[in-house]
Amino acid sequence: MKVFRIKLAAVLFMVVAVVGGPLVGTAQAAGKVALVIDVGGRGDLSFNDMGFKGADEAVAKFGMELVEIQSNSAADYLPNLQNAARSNAFDLIIGVGFLLADAMAEVTDQFPNQKFAIIDVTWLGKPNLQEVGFEEHKGSALVGALGAMVAAHYGYDKIGVVLGIEIPVLYKFEAGYRFGLHWGNAKTAEVTGKAADVGLLWTYTGTFSDIAKGKMATQAMLAQGAGLIYNVAGPLGIGDLEAITEHLEAKGKTAGPPFMIGVDANQDYLGDGHRVLASMMKRVDYGVYSVIESVANGTFKSGVRILGPGNGGIAISRQQDLGDFIDFGIKGGAISENDRSQITANWRAMRAAVPAWIWEAVEELEGKISSGEAKVPCDWCADSIKAIRAQYPD
Amino acid sequence: MTAKAILIKRLHPIIESVLAGVIGLMIGAVIMLAYGYNPVAAYVSLFQGSFGSFYSWAESLANATPLILTALTFAVAMRGGLFNIGAEGQLYIGALAAVAVSLIHLPSPIHIVMALFAAMLAGMVWSLPVALLKLTRGVHEVISTIMFNWIAYFLALYVIAHVLTDPIRGEKTISIVETSRLARILPGTTLNYGLIIAIIAAVVVLFVLWRTTVGFELRVSGHNPVAARYAGISQRRQILTVLLIGGATAGLAGAVQVMGRPPTYAVLSGLPQLINLGFDGIGVAMIGRNHPIGIIVAAIFFGGLMAGGRIMQFSPGVPLELVRVIEGVIILTLAVPELRNLLGSFWRRFAKKKVHDGS
Repeated sequence: MKVFRIKLAAVLFMVVAVVGGPLVGTAQAAGKVALVIDVGGRGDLSFNDMGFKGADEAVAKFGMELVEIQSNSAADYLPNLQNAARSNAFDLIIGVGFLLADAMAEVTDQFPNQKFAIIDVTWLGKPNLQEVGFEEHKGSALVGALGAMVAAHYGYDKIGVVLGIEIPVLYKFEAGYRFGLHWGNAKTAEVTGKAADVGLLWTYTGTFSDIAKGKMATQAMLAQGAGLIYNVAGPLGIGDLEAITEHLEAKGKTAGPPFMIGVDANQDYLGDGHRVLASMMKRVDYGVYSVIESVANGTFKSGVRILGPGNGGIAISRQQDLGDFIDFGIKGGAISENDRSQITANWRAMRAAVPAWIWEAVEELEGKISSGEAKVPCDWCADSIKAIRAQYPD
Repeated sequence: MTAKAILIKRLHPIIESVLAGVIGLMIGAVIMLAYGYNPVAAYVSLFQGSFGSFYSWAESLANATPLILTALTFAVAMRGGLFNIGAEGQLYIGALAAVAVSLIHLPSPIHIVMALFAAMLAGMVWSLPVALLKLTRGVHEVISTIMFNWIAYFLALYVIAHVLTDPIRGEKTISIVETSRLARILPGTTLNYGLIIAIIAAVVVLFVLWRTTVGFELRVSGHNPVAARYAGISQRRQILTVLLIGGATAGLAGAVQVMGRPPTYAVLSGLPQLINLGFDGIGVAMIGRNHPIGIIVAAIFFGGLMAGGRIMQFSPGVPLELVRVIEGVIILTLAVPELRNLLGSFWRRFAKKKVHDGS
C-alpha cells in the first residue's frame, strides 16, 4: 500500500510538473521547420533517416525548432502538409521523397505564401517551392567504375546491381552504373595492359520493401560469379548483404570480396565494416540542411536545385564519413558503440587491400564528371534507356 | 416495461461506451506521462485536430468514410453469426476494380456508377470462395478470410506492377480518370462525396436487416441458430447472403477511398492508402455495437482519432508511434463492452453444446 502511495505521489508530481511546465514559458526559437515523411517512415537507416539527420543538424546550427510529421497512410500526405501550412507556424515545410509529389503540387497552390521544399522531385515548378534533385547517375558511374576495377583485380568477371521497382528514377542508377563499368574496364586495360572484360548482371526486383527478393537476386548473381553487388533498392540491401555474408561463410571467410556497394546513406559500417566496399552517398541530409540554411539566412529560392558530385550532393564514401555514419548506425540501433573500433579497423584493412591506382582512378573520374569532361548518360531517360543499354551493354 | 426502464435500456450502451472511453483516455494519459509528454496538451490537440474546427471535422469525416463501409462488412456477418474478417482483401480488390473501369471512356455520372458497381461486384466475387469453402467443405470463415486477404494483397501488388501500371510512374496504377472521380464536398480538404455513398450503404443495410424478411432470418440465425433451424430458416442461404453483402460494402470501401481521396486517385504499390482499413473496420463495428447507426458514430470517432493524431505529432510533438499506441488503447477499451458480449454469447453457445452432447 505504501509503495502504491509513493507511486501515486510520483505520478501526481509528474502531472503537476508537465502541466505546469509550459505555463512558465520556453525560449523563442529563431524559426520553425516541419519535416513531412512518407509511409516508409523513420528507422530505414537510409533515405528518411538521412532527411531527418540533415534537418536535425540544421535546426541545431541555426537555433530553429524542428517538427517531424510521419505519415501513417498515403491518405495522410495531403492533410499533413495542409495542417502544417494552415497552422501558419512554419518558416519552411519540407516533404521528404517523391511519394509526396502529388500532395505537394496541390498544397503549394493552396498556400502561395508558405515556403515549401521537396526532395527527389524536379518537375512541379511552383513559385513557392524549392525542388531538390540528385545526380544519382553520376554517383552510380563512380561506383560502377570502382566495381569494374575491383572485380578485375580480384579475378571476378561480373559485377551486379539489384534494383527496386522499374521506375525512371532507377534508370538513372542503371545507366550511370553501365557507363562506369565500361569506363572502369577501359581503365583496367590501360593500367594493367591486359584486356578487361567485366560484365554486368542486373535485376529489377519490383519491390522496395521485400528484403527476401534482394537476397534471392544477390544469390543468383553470386552463383554466376559476381564479385560485387550494388544495392539500388533501399532496405533490400539488408538481404543483399545477408546473401554475401552467407556466401563468404560457406567459404569460411568473413571479409569480402564479394562486396556490396551501399546506397543513399553511407552503409560501409554494415557487414562488420569489411563487406561493404563503398557507398554511393546521396546526401539527402545535405539537401535538407542546405534548404533550411537558405531559409535561415534569407536566401531561399524557388525552382529546381540539382545536387551532384561537384557540390556535395553525391559522393563516394570516404574515411571522414565513416565515423559520422557509425554514430548514425548506433542511433538507428543497427550496431553498438562496442563495434566501433573493430568496424573502423576492418574498413581500413578492406580499403587498403584495394590497390591505390583504383582509388586514384575513381578520383580521376569524379573530377572528369564534375568538370564535364566525362558525360554520364541519363539525366532522365524514361524513353532512351534501351538505347543506353545498347551503347553500354551487359 | 415502463418508459423509464426503456430509456435506461437504451442509454445503457451509450453510458458504458462513454465510461470505457474515459478509462481509455486516462490510460493513454499515463502512458504519455511515462514517456514525458504532456497529456493535457496532447489531448487538446487531439480534440482540435479531430472536432475542433470546420476543417478538422471534414478530415475526420473523410477518414470515417471507408471505415463505415468496412465496419458494415463485419457487422452484417456478426448479425448473421459469422466472423467475417475478409473486408481487408475485398477492399483491395474493390479498389482495383474501380481503377480498372477507368480504362473505358464514359460520361461522368455513368462512369462513377459503373466504377462503384464494378467494385461491389469485385468484392462480392472475392468473398464467394469463402462462402463456397464454408458451404461445401466446412472451412471456418476466419481461416479462409485471412488467407484470402493475403491472396488479395499479393494479387494487388502484381496488378499494380504489371497490369494497371502507370506508364511513367511504375510505383502506382493509372490514375482514375476525371469522369470517374468523386468530387470534394469541401475544397481544400480531402472530404468527398464518398461519405454520402457510405451513409446510403449504412441506411440500406439498416433497412435490409430490420425491415425485410431476409434481414429478419439473418438476425434470427445469428441470434439463435437452433431456433432458426427449427423455424425452417436455411443456414446455408444465410452464409451466402452475409458474405455477399459484406463483399459488396468492402468493395465499395476500396472504391470510395481510391475514387474520392485526393490527390493521386490511384492505388500505390504497397497499398499505403488502403492497408488496415478492413481491420480498423472491425474495431469500428465493435464500438458501434454492430448497428449501422452506431457504426456511423463510431467511424466518425475513429476517423477523428486518426485526424487528431496527425496534429498531436506537431503540437506537443508526440511521435507517430506513440500516437498509434494511444489510439490503440482508446479503441481497445471502447471495444471491451462489445467484446464481453461477444465472448459471453460464444461461451453460452459452447456451454449449451456441451449440454446437448450430454457430457
